[in-house]
Amino acid sequence: MSALRKDPPMKIDVDPPSVEEAVLVMRRTFDAPRELVWTTLTDPKHVAKWYGGRGFENPVCEMDVRPGGLWRHVMRTPDGAEFKMEFVFVEVVKPEKLVWKNVDHGKHGGPHDNLMTVTLEEAGRQTKWKLVARFTSLADRDAALRMGFTTVLSEGTEKFNDLVKALAGN
Amino acid sequence: MTTTDPLSATLFALADPTRRGLLARLATGDATVKELAEPYDMSLAAISKHLKVLEGAGLISRGREAQWRPCHLEAEPLQAVSEWLEEYRRFWDRSLDSLAEHLKELQQAAPSAPPPPRKPRR
Repeated sequence: MSALRKDPPMKIDVDPPSVEEAVLVMRRTFDAPRELVWTTLTDPKHVAKWYGGRGFENPVCEMDVRPGGLWRHVMRTPDGAEFKMEFVFVEVVKPEKLVWKNVDHGKHGGPHDNLMTVTLEEAGRQTKWKLVARFTSLADRDAALRMGFTTVLSEGTEKFNDLVKALAGN
Repeated sequence: MTTTDPLSATLFALADPTRRGLLARLATGDATVKELAEPYDMSLAAISKHLKVLEGAGLISRGREAQWRPCHLEAEPLQAVSEWLEEYRRFWDRSLDSLAEHLKELQQAAPSAPPPPRKPRR
């Protein structure tokens, strides 16, 4: 794919307070009660319906939702490619907080591994979803911070993409 | 840095505002170390250090001539970063769109509010 295609509308936001941390933050508000959003986040039967987005299938989704429990997942893209993923739950606070991370079998050295934290906040009849992706994929946490997801992401992905495009001369 | 994968190296190089500034300058055309150093309150040695990091990450290349070694922007590693961020963002955008739809369906299937009372049949 080309990185330089026209961007779809930007929904990812970077928290100003997170500037010093290696995180990417994404927020969304759902018109549903928190208990229900929690269920769709932690019940594999529901997760299989939305993970990856429209056109994606999830032939395998097994979740053992407790700290240390595994989430085994196979995602199939619309063109039939399958991705096997394995995560482990780090923190489970029903119905407000779920933390998970990649299971690293030593084959991932890059920044694709990260710690995901979803917090759900009640807002009247709606639920505010906040997803924080914390990048700890590097050899150690300090390296992760030094490596500058911090700075890169604090630029905001939009601004960052603009920079990259400008630099790429397109 | 202990990691060596190219994406990590690129991101490390981009983590510094001075280095991003140098790249932005080079996007407008090749330049010498002296030219690159001009806007900065920094020694040539310090600028050279930054350039070395950029060079190590494959983000710039240097000319061969000893005296005149213009720096040249290499955009390819930047595209890898852009693609990675873009894919990541798109994945969650898509997923949360689907989640919103799914939540709507669930609630339509099982409305939380009780149905209005029926009129008694005669």
